[in-house]
Amino acid sequence: MKYKRFVWLAALIFILSVFNVYSQEILVVDNTIFNRPQRPAAVFDHDDHNEKAQLEEDCSICHHVYDENNVRIEDESSEDSLCSECHSLKKIPENSIPLRMAFHNRCKQCHFKSDKGPVLCGECHIRK
Amino acid sequence: MHSFINFIMGPMVWISFLIFFCGVIFKLFQVIKQVNEKENFIYTYLSVKHSFRSIFAWMIPFLPVSTRKSPVFYTVSYLFHLLLFIVPIFLLSHVALFEESMQWSWMTFNDTVADTLTLIVIFSLIFFMIRRVVVPEVKFLTRLSDFFFILIVALPFVTGFLAYHQFFAYKWMVITHVISGELMLILIPFTRFSHMFMAPLTRAYTGSEFGNVRHAKDW
Repeated sequence: MKYKRFVWLAALIFILSVFNVYSQEILVVDNTIFNRPQRPAAVFDHDDHNEKAQLEEDCSICHHVYDENNVRIEDESSEDSLCSECHSLKKIPENSIPLRMAFHNRCKQCHFKSDKGPVLCGECHIRK
Repeated sequence: MHSFINFIMGPMVWISFLIFFCGVIFKLFQVIKQVNEKENFIYTYLSVKHSFRSIFAWMIPFLPVSTRKSPVFYTVSYLFHLLLFIVPIFLLSHVALFEESMQWSWMTFNDTVADTLTLIVIFSLIFFMIRRVVVPEVKFLTRLSDFFFILIVALPFVTGFLAYHQFFAYKWMVITHVISGELMLILIPFTRFSHMFMAPLTRAYTGSEFGNVRHAKDW
């Protein structure tokens, strides 16, 4: 009898701890495309960020679409595609802004302009 | 705060480089002017051949006799001077920032490698400091300002190291790092850091006297 109770208790603790781990997870940018990234993935909670930055209306600021002549297409947005689909890792004729630079400039330019949000390396690439 | 950070990490970097380059040119002109006014007898024996002979001889590690007489000091000194340039120039975060403003980049050290090399620079500076206290003939020539200049060089490396590891006060560490780096750059032409570009002139002067007058080697 005592043994059974112990198993239930252990199971309960296990479930709670797993749940706890997920509830405390820090959301980060998916950096798996980078070949052996040297810094921890940048901290970024999409929904929380857009609520704070009041961006819910205009997704195309980040999820933008540019035509062949490097002109932004106003009414289109690119939520369905990954950043890396256009911004390749290395600079190529079809893409003048490599991925790392695209991430950095996208975040920092807005943050500097609005005087809000992180702008220094370690403010996004946080070591645990 | 953002505009302050933007200023020190943006325009102030270029202002520092501008002061550095203009300062170097100004100082070189000043030295040539002083030589012309007070010591123009140098030109009677100054020779291109002996100048470059001396410069190259002193660029080869452990070729000059005096470097072989103090192998420990010169090993640390060679390493330090090499890393002082190489580490900041090939540091990932520096290159990433440069790329973001100038659209071009170059190869970088792995962060772990750069971290280790930074520690070598810091320990070299500690070594130089201890040397100034311990070695009698060096102590005799040491003034308080010598420690100040060692600290000026150490500051960007120490704060860079601490900022990279995010140990404490991250934001202030980066700000101190950036400002102290710019300060060092600005100070180079106007302080004893000027040996960075004066050393070849010193070698040309000594090399010519030894080679062209005494017909001897100066290494």
